[in-house]
Amino acid sequence: MNLPRLIFVTGKGGTGKSTVAAAMAVALSRRRPTTIADLDRRRSSLRLLSSADFDSQKPFTIDKNLEGLALSPHSELEAFIQRIVPLKSISRRMLESRTFGYVTAALPGLEAFLMLDRLRILSGDGALKDRFIVVDGPASGSALEFLSVAQGVKGIAPTGTLNRLAHSVQSFLTDAARFGVVITVTPEEMALREALETFATLKSLGVQWVVAVLNSTSKVLFNAADLAALTPLKSHAQLALRRNAMAEYTISARDQLKAAGLLVLELPALFLAQIGKAEANHLADELDRAL
Amino acid sequence: MKAPLDLKNHRLVICLGPGGVGKTTISAALALYGARAGRSVDVMTVDPAPRLLDALGLDAASAEPQPVPLEGIIDDNARSGSHARLRALKLDPKATFDSIVTRYAPSNAARDSILKNRIYRNLSAALSGVGDYMAMEKLLELYSAPGADLIVLDTPPASEAIDFLDAPRRLLDLLNSRAITLLGLSSGRLLRGLKVVDLAARAVLSAFDKFTGLNLLTDVQGFVESFEGMYSGFAERARRAGALLRSSESIIVIVTTAEAARIAQAREFAIALEAAGLRVDTIVVNRMMPQIPDSAELRDAKVSVALKRKLTRNLKDFQALKERETRALKELRTGLSPKLRMLAAPDLGREPRSLADLAELANNLEIIRD
Repeated sequence: MNLPRLIFVTGKGGTGKSTVAAAMAVALSRRRPTTIADLDRRRSSLRLLSSADFDSQKPFTIDKNLEGLALSPHSELEAFIQRIVPLKSISRRMLESRTFGYVTAALPGLEAFLMLDRLRILSGDGALKDRFIVVDGPASGSALEFLSVAQGVKGIAPTGTLNRLAHSVQSFLTDAARFGVVITVTPEEMALREALETFATLKSLGVQWVVAVLNSTSKVLFNAADLAALTPLKSHAQLALRRNAMAEYTISARDQLKAAGLLVLELPALFLAQIGKAEANHLADELDRAL
Repeated sequence: MKAPLDLKNHRLVICLGPGGVGKTTISAALALYGARAGRSVDVMTVDPAPRLLDALGLDAASAEPQPVPLEGIIDDNARSGSHARLRALKLDPKATFDSIVTRYAPSNAARDSILKNRIYRNLSAALSGVGDYMAMEKLLELYSAPGADLIVLDTPPASEAIDFLDAPRRLLDLLNSRAITLLGLSSGRLLRGLKVVDLAARAVLSAFDKFTGLNLLTDVQGFVESFEGMYSGFAERARRAGALLRSSESIIVIVTTAEAARIAQAREFAIALEAAGLRVDTIVVNRMMPQIPDSAELRDAKVSVALKRKLTRNLKDFQALKERETRALKELRTGLSPKLRMLAAPDLGREPRSLADLAELANNLEIIRD
């Protein structure tokens, strides 16, 4: 499979977005140096991979071929303001003032836009140094707002520097060699619906490389004869039905994702009492095979 | 009938929680629970899934309360002789904001210039907190209207609990800030007395305008001018909303699921709320797995060896998941007040899609014991 330089992972809350991002980064780092950039406020994917203390905005080493990077849209905005107001003492006090909050309120997409531009630069940098970048993005609702922001910026700034930046961000998002999206989804109705909606919106934004990771899949364990024989064992029969329902929804989710035109990678449900780094490695093995 | 939750003395239930835990579903189930106890209930939902919208008989445009038919859902005996009733509505933040502006604008011209202003359009569509603030506004409206004696409020998903409860203060801060006065000053006036930071802010805005070609400064000035005279109305309502949320008539419910990440968030919510002087009454853990059957039963079961092997494996797998859930619940308890009530709402094994499903949830709320 041809992989884009930067892979942006998103999905509905509870579909294992951060776990998949972490596993994806581990899998890719077995081939080439890889950076996992965490946009999620809770830093879940970085915490899954490393117990180190990390600074915002500075890469740190997780493993031989893997580094972590904690990003925040607000810091991107700060960096931008510091470029326009070079006098540090003034720019710092400004950033703390309410007026500044007002500027951002008036242009709510600005932080997101600057962050997208940062991803564009990261991806270009990755191409030069032959690195992969995996981004643990926001949950799908916010991710779509985030990825749509360049279009909006073009609309409100028909000419000038921002407009030119918006153009280069858009060509980045629509270039399969530089940018791709992984949508995480679990075999559940709500998660599936959101994944399909996300895919439709990404297509309308012109994103070329989109892959679904169907997480927590399982296989049918009990056949009809089994279930018939189980009738007297009421509670076990219920549990068997539950297991089968998971498996049946796996099939239906896989079919619907494929019917929508998505490439689907699958990760098995882990029936484990705890999920940690070892499990992320296990999922990385699975992803490695699928890729 | 078991009564895990007593809403007799309350008029307002506020459901808070992280996204994706079924907050809207639980809000609707709690509303049914209240109606079943003979109350006249309004439930305000924020972003219901289409099926839930159907279940409540709402459509996307139901910004005013719609009656939900309860025949066959709650016991007819319970309904007759009481004023049990359920109405549901869906919050439309933009429409609510527009209607507030319409109500408080000193003139039609002022109203139109606000509604058309680019700053306002961005504020109402995108500023996080506006949705929260509008939920609060609608709540005051429902609370003051005659009819409902219990209001259940679903809230926008938040990464921090305080986002919702703090929304009126944040919005007012913004509208009342020195910044807005400052930005409203036309360039002809004396700028004496302004701090260097304020001047820098103006400089940045105008540099920004030049850089981007956005004419932001003009828009901000227009917005401030048209908002003059509306501030006190906003402030008064925000004060009333704040008082209502803290009154003994209100209870705060945190909704979560037993996944580790959600549990951590729910704990943060509870701690942040306590720190802000708000008392969390109940945590509802949604989608709790059923009790796992006994393995002894399996030993003596008269089934084929192959089937027994499958059953043993299935049991072991679900025991592991149940164990994960139990650990997460234990984690949730740690450091929280022992007085905090914890309720389990069962996993139905499907997405709730009808009133009957919601009633099943309401009927099966159970206290979680340690």
